[in-house]
This record gives sequence, C-alpha cells and structure tokens, in this order.
Amino acid sequence: MAQDAAGAVGARMNPQVDSLIRAAQRGDQDAFEQLVRMYDQSVLRLAMNLLRSPEDARDVYQEAFLRVFRNLQTFRFDCSFHTWLYRIVTNICLDQLRKRKVRKEESAVVETADGNIDRMEAFEEEAAHADPERTAWNRQLRQRIENALGDLTPRERMVFELRHYQGLRLRNIGEMLGTTEEAAKNCLFRATQKMRVVLGDFI
Amino acid sequence: MTCDAVGKLIPLYFYGELPSEEEDRVEAHLHECAECTRELDRLSALGEALSRRQVEIPAKLLEDCRADLNAALAGGASLLKPRAKGPWTLFLEAVASSISSFSSLRIPVGALAMLALGFVAARYSGAGRTWWRPADDNGFATVRSVQRDASGNVQISYNEVSPRLVSGPANSPEIQKLLLAAFHQNNSEARMDSVALLNPQADTEGRDALLGDLAIDSNVGVRLRILDKLTPLASDPEVRKKLAGVLQTDDSAAVRLRIVDLLMTQHDESLVGVMQSQVQREDNSGVRQKLQKALKDMNASQGIF
Repeated sequence: MAQDAAGAVGARMNPQVDSLIRAAQRGDQDAFEQLVRMYDQSVLRLAMNLLRSPEDARDVYQEAFLRVFRNLQTFRFDCSFHTWLYRIVTNICLDQLRKRKVRKEESAVVETADGNIDRMEAFEEEAAHADPERTAWNRQLRQRIENALGDLTPRERMVFELRHYQGLRLRNIGEMLGTTEEAAKNCLFRATQKMRVVLGDFI
Repeated sequence: MTCDAVGKLIPLYFYGELPSEEEDRVEAHLHECAECTRELDRLSALGEALSRRQVEIPAKLLEDCRADLNAALAGGASLLKPRAKGPWTLFLEAVASSISSFSSLRIPVGALAMLALGFVAARYSGAGRTWWRPADDNGFATVRSVQRDASGNVQISYNEVSPRLVSGPANSPEIQKLLLAAFHQNNSEARMDSVALLNPQADTEGRDALLGDLAIDSNVGVRLRILDKLTPLASDPEVRKKLAGVLQTDDSAAVRLRIVDLLMTQHDESLVGVMQSQVQREDNSGVRQKLQKALKDMNASQGIF
C-alpha cells in the first residue's frame, strides 16, 4: 500500500491535500513541494518496481512531477489528487514498458549506484543461508517469476503492479488507467492466470 | 457454483475484490472443494513469492530525484513566471562574443575552476571588482551551485583542493567560463542554473555547447531547459537539424513534444521525412498527434512510401 500519500489513496476528499493543491495553484512553491513529498515515495517505488532501473525511475519521477506542475491549474477536484497524479505516472511508465517490449531490452539485473545486482536481490540473503538445493530452486523460481512478469502485456503488468504491490482497489486502478473496473478485473485475472501457467510447477 | 466458475473468481477473491454476496458463494464452494482450495493456496504462494520480489529504493535515489525536480523548477522559465532581463543577461548579450569555447571539453571541473580562479584572482584581486575567499567548510566534490544574487552578482560554489567561493559582478568573462564549466559536470542542479545563465543567441560556441548537451544530458529537466534557451534560435538551420536528430532518439515524451513545438514554428519541408518516420515509431499519443498535425499543416502524408 502506498503509505506516504497521507492516507489519501483513493480518497476523494482530503482537506490537507486540497488546501496544498489550492495554494500550489496560486503559485505557492512551498505548498507544491509539500505536495510532492506526500506522494513521491510511492511514485518512485512504483517506477522502480516496474522498470527496475534507478535511472529510468528517476526520469519517470522528474517527468511526472514536472507534468503535475505544468498542469496543476487544470486539476478541478473531480477526482482525488492521487488518482490524477497516478494517471500521469502510469502513462509515463506504460510508455516506458511499451518501449521495452519493442526493444526487448529488459535485462535480468537491476542497475544500482553500487553496480548491477540481480533483480531478485531480496532472495539473495535468504539463499546464502539455505542449502544448495534450495538456493538453486530459488534461482529458478526467480527466473521464472521474471519471465512470467515479462510475458504480461504492459497494461496487465501495470494493473498487477498497482493491485499487488501498491494495494490499490481495482475501481481506482480503472479510473487511473482510463478504463472500467471490469476491464481492470479482466487484466488482473489474465495476469494471475499467465503467471500461474508459467510458475505452475514451482508454486 | 461450479469449479470452473469459482476458478475465474479465485484471483478476485484472493485480492478481496468480490462483492460480499459473491464472496460468500465462493467461500461456500471452497469449504466443500479440495481442488479449488488448493488453487487458492497456490495463488497465495505465488502472491507471497511475488511480494518478496519488491525492490527497495536505493538510498540516495529519492534525494537525487528531489534535487533534480527542484533544479528543474528553479531553472524552468517556462514553468515559472518569466524572470526580468537582469544585469547578467544584459552582460551576456554584451560580452558573449568574447567567450572562449569549452564546448568540447569534458575536463574535471575542479581543474578548470582552479585555472579560472587563478586567472580571476590575478586579474581582479584587489581591483575592487571581483573578490574571492576560501570557504570555511571542506569536502566539495563538484560544482555545488550557480546563482545570481539580488545585486546582480553571480556566485559559483565549486570544487577545489579547498572549497572557495567566487563572487563577481555580472560583467566578468571569467564567471562565464566557470558557468560553462559548471554546465559540463555531474551536478544537474548546477547544469540547470548554468543553462539559465548562458546566452546561445549571442555566441555560436554557447549554442553548440547547448546542442551537444541536449543529445546526451541524462536529466530531463536540463534538456527541457536547454530547449527553452534554444527557442529564439528555432529557425537556425543548425539548430533545426540537431533538434530533428534528438527528436528521433530522446526517451522523454516531454522533450519530444517540445522539440515538435519548436520545429513547427517554421514551415520546413526538409523535415517531412523525419516527421513521417517519427509518426510511425512514436508511442506517445500526444507527440504523435502533434506530429500528425504538423504534417497535415504541411500538406504532407503521414505514411512513408
């Protein structure tokens, strides 16, 4: 769940956020900065988890909040700010995912300042203490999970990311992606089915 | 309910996305069906494995992102109210022709800064025009900031063996050299501020430095700022040629959108081919629509034959 959005996830009304938006719309830059800081960690986490590259995530962050800044005047409070912000962020991330689909360039490692690390770093520590058979099994599972996620369409990947990792409701996800709740449900169903098929003998 | 029907609902049940009546019916079926219960368990195991995959944000990344954004906002003329033409801009317009080119240099900024500082100090120290003094703190690794104060002076905080602060009146060419040095180093905030203070209209070297960086700068905010600075030169053939190249390679839709805007300021049939090819590959709908409109305005088709 996006925990840094001041409890505003999916909420239509949040007085604190609303007053910051109105102040930012009047040109108050401190208010804009506060607004950014309420949401930027969840935006960055989303971009990082989807794109697995700090550089790409950094670009998404910057492009998203610059767009927010440029277009804040057009925000009319007819949806929550979180939804509006995520429409922007998910569009940028979907662009990136589609490019990767075309280029087939998604690699099996994550770039970090300390060099490249395996995508499934979280498993490494555990693996180090496990028996060799278990470690090998974990490696294979990791690779299968990456393959399974890589096989999803960008939209399925996004719906899955927003539901599973960001904890958003499908109704909100549909709103963010400019589609219906029903379509978001179908995406989630297809995503889980595809992963079940690829990971069938591991799970 | 049949197993088939429940199977389709299990993912939604797992994520708590079923209406309560439907949830009750699925639960009733699961209570009696071992196979569907196993399917739910498998999905839970999958969910657990996937949850362990989440990447932690690298320690400094959030900080860097915030610095990038602040730099973009502070330096973005198109984002904020336009700044009045101050003494610095007037100075640049006056002395731009005397600026040496650093456009091809990628030397360590500390070394360049020391050279420039020596030059500045030798020339102006004691003359009452430019002054310098060692800073009190230590440990600078790069140019830290470039800014203009209320009186019109430019302050550059940069690398040296010991940190120093150079402050001088806007009419110092050496300050301009330091700005170019700042433009060519890794601190995006300093690059952003330097771009804001350079004047490519008055000097082809400054223009070329901006054009060179446009294609390679990793920071979207800096690239957008460069495009703002190039706006008055949108009819310059060299600039247009470079913009057309960057249009085809830049990853940022915001940058591509801005480039199309700049290219569209002039009716230029030599760019029809580039635009047609870009329409075919463009995956951002906003940019694509703008390109299509540009082609339509030029009475050109949108396909490649």
